[in-house]
Amino acid sequence: MSFLELNNVRKTFGQTDAVRAFNLQVERGEFVSFLGPSGCGKTTTLRMIAGFELPTSGAIVINGDDVTYKPPQKRNTGMVFQSYALFPNMTVGDNIGFGLKIAGEPKSAIQKRVDEMLAIIKMEKFGARYPYQLSGGQQQRVALARAIAIRPQVLLLDEPLSALDAKIRVSLRQEIRAIQQKLGITTIYVTHDQEEALSLSDRVVVMNDGRIEQVGTPFEIYNFPTTEFAAQFVGTLNTIQATVRDAARGALIVANQEITTSQKLDGLRNGDAHSIAIRPERVSFAADGKKPNVLNVRIENITFLGSIVRVQVSAGENIFYMDTFNNPFLSLPKIGDHAEVTFSKEAVLVLKNK
Amino acid sequence: MQTTTTLPAPSAPRARAFSFAWLGVVPFFLFAILFLILPSGILLIGSVQNARGEFTLENFGGLFQESIANSYILSLQLSVTTAVVGGIFGFLLAYAAILGGLPRSVRTTLLTFSGVASNFAGVPLAFAFIATLGRLGFVTVLLKDLLGFDLNQTGFSVFGFLSLTLTYIYFQFPLMVLIIAPALDGLKKEWREAAENLGASAWQYWRIVAFPVLLPSILGTMILLFSNAFGAVATAYALTGGNFPLATILIFRQIRGEVLGNPGLGYAVAVGMVIIMGGSLAIYYFLQRKTERWLKQ
Amino acid sequence: MKKFPIWSWLMILLGFTYFLLPLIGTLDFSLRILKDQLSLDAYVNVLNAVRFQNTFTYSFTMALWTIVACTLLVAPTAYWVHLKLPHLRPVIEFITLLTFVVPAILLVFGLIRIYSRPPLSLMESEIGSDFLLVMGYVSLALPYMYRAVDNGLRAIDVRTLTEAAQSLGAGWRIILFSVIFPNLRAALLSGAFLTFATVIGEFTIATFLARPAFGPYMANLGQTRPYESTALTIISLALTWASIGMIQLLGRGAQGQLVGTR
Ligand SMILES: Nc1ncnc2c1ncn2[C@@H]1O[C@H](COP(=O)(O)OP(=O)(O)OP(=O)(O)O)[C@@H](O)[C@H]1O
Ligand SMILES: [Mg+2]
Repeated sequence: MSFLELNNVRKTFGQTDAVRAFNLQVERGEFVSFLGPSGCGKTTTLRMIAGFELPTSGAIVINGDDVTYKPPQKRNTGMVFQSYALFPNMTVGDNIGFGLKIAGEPKSAIQKRVDEMLAIIKMEKFGARYPYQLSGGQQQRVALARAIAIRPQVLLLDEPLSALDAKIRVSLRQEIRAIQQKLGITTIYVTHDQEEALSLSDRVVVMNDGRIEQVGTPFEIYNFPTTEFAAQFVGTLNTIQATVRDAARGALIVANQEITTSQKLDGLRNGDAHSIAIRPERVSFAADGKKPNVLNVRIENITFLGSIVRVQVSAGENIFYMDTFNNPFLSLPKIGDHAEVTFSKEAVLVLKNK
Repeated sequence: MQTTTTLPAPSAPRARAFSFAWLGVVPFFLFAILFLILPSGILLIGSVQNARGEFTLENFGGLFQESIANSYILSLQLSVTTAVVGGIFGFLLAYAAILGGLPRSVRTTLLTFSGVASNFAGVPLAFAFIATLGRLGFVTVLLKDLLGFDLNQTGFSVFGFLSLTLTYIYFQFPLMVLIIAPALDGLKKEWREAAENLGASAWQYWRIVAFPVLLPSILGTMILLFSNAFGAVATAYALTGGNFPLATILIFRQIRGEVLGNPGLGYAVAVGMVIIMGGSLAIYYFLQRKTERWLKQ
Repeated sequence: MKKFPIWSWLMILLGFTYFLLPLIGTLDFSLRILKDQLSLDAYVNVLNAVRFQNTFTYSFTMALWTIVACTLLVAPTAYWVHLKLPHLRPVIEFITLLTFVVPAILLVFGLIRIYSRPPLSLMESEIGSDFLLVMGYVSLALPYMYRAVDNGLRAIDVRTLTEAAQSLGAGWRIILFSVIFPNLRAALLSGAFLTFATVIGEFTIATFLARPAFGPYMANLGQTRPYESTALTIISLALTWASIGMIQLLGRGAQGQLVGTR
């Protein structure tokens, strides 16, 4: 039995299916991100865990306790909102101590816990300030401290960093991760920023249109996406139209040239058309050393991206990108040239068709 | 970044640009001096002069003579009562319409009605209440016919304090609705959710978060209602025919030369009012700043 | 499902009762000039009264003058302050607040004291008194007008608009009348309607400046002709409704209040 379980959770708002058949098991102390485009149901799922929305059907279990129909007050989750939601009439200290005060803890215990929390978020000197006297990043740290001060079973964060500017976003997300690991607190983190999800999480849940597309470690999600959506949403991806030549051998035809994949072509027959995907960084020029797959292509365009040079190439109807590291001593082909590119069998991802 | 505009170049002589800019506000300041500051100032000067034009503070001593002190007290009573009662009533109404789970059309209708009612004041408002609560008024007759209750037997008079209070409340509570509505809108949904998430009941959220956040606005608006009533005269004059000794009516009659006899004393009564109004406005401003600071993001 | 919000509905019911009872009472009363039947005679009498026509026309004209004067005073000043003299904002705001502190009755007290005797004896002549009346009304309308225009200006980023117009070669007149003012139209119009609603039946200032205005006429009529005066009440109410309705249509809410005319 996992620490947090969502079993077949559904939520409909009138005609909209916000969340459909959502199944997820989260272990104690795990950091799980929900990643997906706007409107895919991340917030709704999070709010169902917190108790602000009731599922249309399904069950939510925290630590063996079915909380599906419990009010938010009784769930012992800690929520961090995108807009901080600090109480404006209270000092930082009072905000952090709010949950404990409600729980009726003695003043001295509250004070001790508040000081502890202020130390964790490195804001010892700010206890007496009001929220309006803090920067956005500081406010969000206080909101985090307020949520974990009550020792919640699950910490829930809904795009906590999206209102902050880029620099603070990076430093604060590392801080959040460090605090989470130090306290070993089970955490759900909602974001639409893939870098955030990949860099922070033990596991990432890729969501689309109310459904889970894929659950996996950041490594799995990036390197072995199982659906076209997951592949497209995380990182840059080339989708290429191919025809199956020999399913048993993993052989495919792209622009009249044969390539092979190490992945299974289950359920496909020879002659079927099917999409495959390749990440740009896994393709290189054959001149630098050949790998099992070689394609003859024409150079269409070259874009300089700093440390990386992105080359657009075409093979028949297919147009795709390849990334090479920028090296001033290496001469790149010119637009219109023909060249050979190469990639491994493992680089060829076979996507589930919809 | 360079922008290409034909604005006066920054290198133009500073002093000239400066004096030119000042010219733009001359009409406004001229108006303000002639029709706001001078009239207020003359009251102040008049209040510290005796009949021969010599400086004196005697006039302010005169404010404590019984008839004048009583009219101040009556004005204060009326203003405080209508501000508090109208304020609470207006607040509850706005709360019901905005946060009470009613359809949005209720809120729109309420705000429109409040816009009208808060501007429906003075002579016609007084007439409306006479037509409603007077000896043969609509409600008076209705009460008698339906319930057998004779309002006139209770000592109630449409020209009395209670009736005047009800009349003032007619423009006070809509004003409260209009001013407090944005403050209620400013209560963020996330505050309630954050409080619930941390274990607070609906009542605890209301007591510890929402009410303290709203309190400065509520108090501030009530103070605005107070000065609104304190400076009013037309409604009371039309309702009571000038026989109700409010401070404003005292001044009304003083200008007509009917009372006091001593011009300096009249000015002192006026300045006393200005001081009370100014003081309440200062408190209002202070409270206003407090909420604004809290709520700025 | 949420439970039915019974307390909210009760509250609203109470509120609307308070709103409507006096209006129904007045309407009822105004129709009872003939003892035993409802009739519109009171309205007919009032509308045919020459003094009604004269005083109403007079107040209407004065209201228009007030609106014109107030607009010409406030709009350019607010614009100029925004653009060139932002540090003057607090001063101007303070001045507009003076009218909250000095209500109509005190204002007219001071005005009479100054302008009924030399060297500035405006009240000697009719036109001077009319002028003084309009200036008094402008004072009353000032805070609301100024705030409306100020908010309007804040919303449109005057500086950029002005600079953009200048860079396209526009002169000051074109900038003001075809760039800035059109963007302030809603603010100015709602200010105008509010001013109208307040000024048309204004009593205190008009009384003491001895102007043949609608407010004093109404008050006077109340002492002698109860039915006609209630009919007038309904008419003024209709005017208030129309003005506030226009403000609503302009989409600026009925947020505006003029204090001191009550
Ligand atoms: N209270 C509500 N009433 C009706 N529809 C809602 C409600 N809340 C959410 N929805 C709908 O449910 C769907 C999922 O919304 P949700 O807020 O969960 O998306 P999200 O993944 O958090 O998106 P974002 O990244 O933009 O925050 C959307 O189509 C949204 O319009
Ligand atoms: Mg969301």
